[in-house]
Amino acid sequence: MKWLFAPVPRGRVALLRTAVYLFTALDLVVFTPWVRAHGSVDGELYQPLWIARVLHLPVPDSLLVQSIFWVLLAAALAAATGRAPRLLGWTVFLLYFEWMIIAMSYGKVDHDRFAFLVALAVLPTCGAARWRDREPSERAGWALRMVQLAVVATYFLAAWAKLRYGGPEWMTGSVLARAILRRGTELAHLIAPVPYLLILAQIGIMAFELTSPLVFVLPEKWRTRVVAFFYSFHLVTFSMITISFLPHLVALLAFLPLERAADRVSERVRRVRQRRAVPAG
Amino acid sequence: METMTNAQRATRVLATLLAAFALLGGTLWGSDDHFPFGPFRMYAGVNPPNEPAPDPRLEGTDAHGATVVLGERETGMRRAEIEGQQDLFVADPARLREVVEAYRRRNPDAAALVEVRYVMRWHEIRTSRPTGQWRDEVLARWQVVQP
Repeated sequence: MKWLFAPVPRGRVALLRTAVYLFTALDLVVFTPWVRAHGSVDGELYQPLWIARVLHLPVPDSLLVQSIFWVLLAAALAAATGRAPRLLGWTVFLLYFEWMIIAMSYGKVDHDRFAFLVALAVLPTCGAARWRDREPSERAGWALRMVQLAVVATYFLAAWAKLRYGGPEWMTGSVLARAILRRGTELAHLIAPVPYLLILAQIGIMAFELTSPLVFVLPEKWRTRVVAFFYSFHLVTFSMITISFLPHLVALLAFLPLERAADRVSERVRRVRQRRAVPAG
Repeated sequence: METMTNAQRATRVLATLLAAFALLGGTLWGSDDHFPFGPFRMYAGVNPPNEPAPDPRLEGTDAHGATVVLGERETGMRRAEIEGQQDLFVADPARLREVVEAYRRRNPDAAALVEVRYVMRWHEIRTSRPTGQWRDEVLARWQVVQP
């Protein structure tokens, strides 16, 4: 139980909050612009998800989609400043969740943002937090732990889903060859013909996903290295089949001592300024 | 240090457990329909080592006889979404009308479409590796009824 509430400096959650809300705004405008296009798609192609049916959410039309887009954009940018963390935080969570329901209700569901949704859901519970605030907080600790658990669950349960749908044969199948043919980069097409390489990569992916929970038992130094490995895994995936998992990568920040990185940056900026202030010679 | 009351802790433990059960249940018995708690089944399918890879696309022919690609930019629908509705298009090709509508709305000045096709390109795969060979198969075809 202590582990679930292990306190972390408030500054860490403040920095994560800024990153998450800025990303929300960027995601709307730059990374998933196709969600907005659903406003101009015929209502007949709308296949509402279970949650949309239970909550009787309206069929998205142009007005609804445009309204959510602009209100969510404004709320996310305002929330990134750290003001009114509860009011703005819950607003962003609810609107982004509805935005994702609209996104996934046209025959295709993505699995790249579970941890990001969890981050949006827990950030409002942390209350006020400033970048420079170093006071340890249990509320911040629980929130970060939730995001971490969601990140690892995404890996571990993705392996579980592979075993459920594909079985162990998934590892010796042709899922990567198929992905490369459909959306591979030139680099991927170049290496795809190497014998057994894609099969080895599939075994590697399964092994990495199944062992990902070990990140919780490692000492901090190793934990950071494992997180670096997670990031490099997504970099390779992106360079091969252009799948970025960007929202997940933002959630991954919850593993890192962000406030220490921020301290280092501000220290460097201070030194540079000092040097400039002293006239040369 | 900022600590929490027992009630605050209990609420959070309860929320954690509920989410964990929903996610585990979704992974074990759920489907995509249960987003965000459905199974993370992206790229989890069974694809035997020699099974050809499907690469679907929508295309049309306009009034000038030119072939028009009907991709995400043209229709506002992603390829995976088109694919998700494949069975509906095949069972009832008239549903391709919705694609024409979406195209018209997004490209009001473009030449009108006279035909829309759902085309599957099958890429050959041998021992988990692509061979570079492919063949096209038209799965659904709809002649546009001009208004």
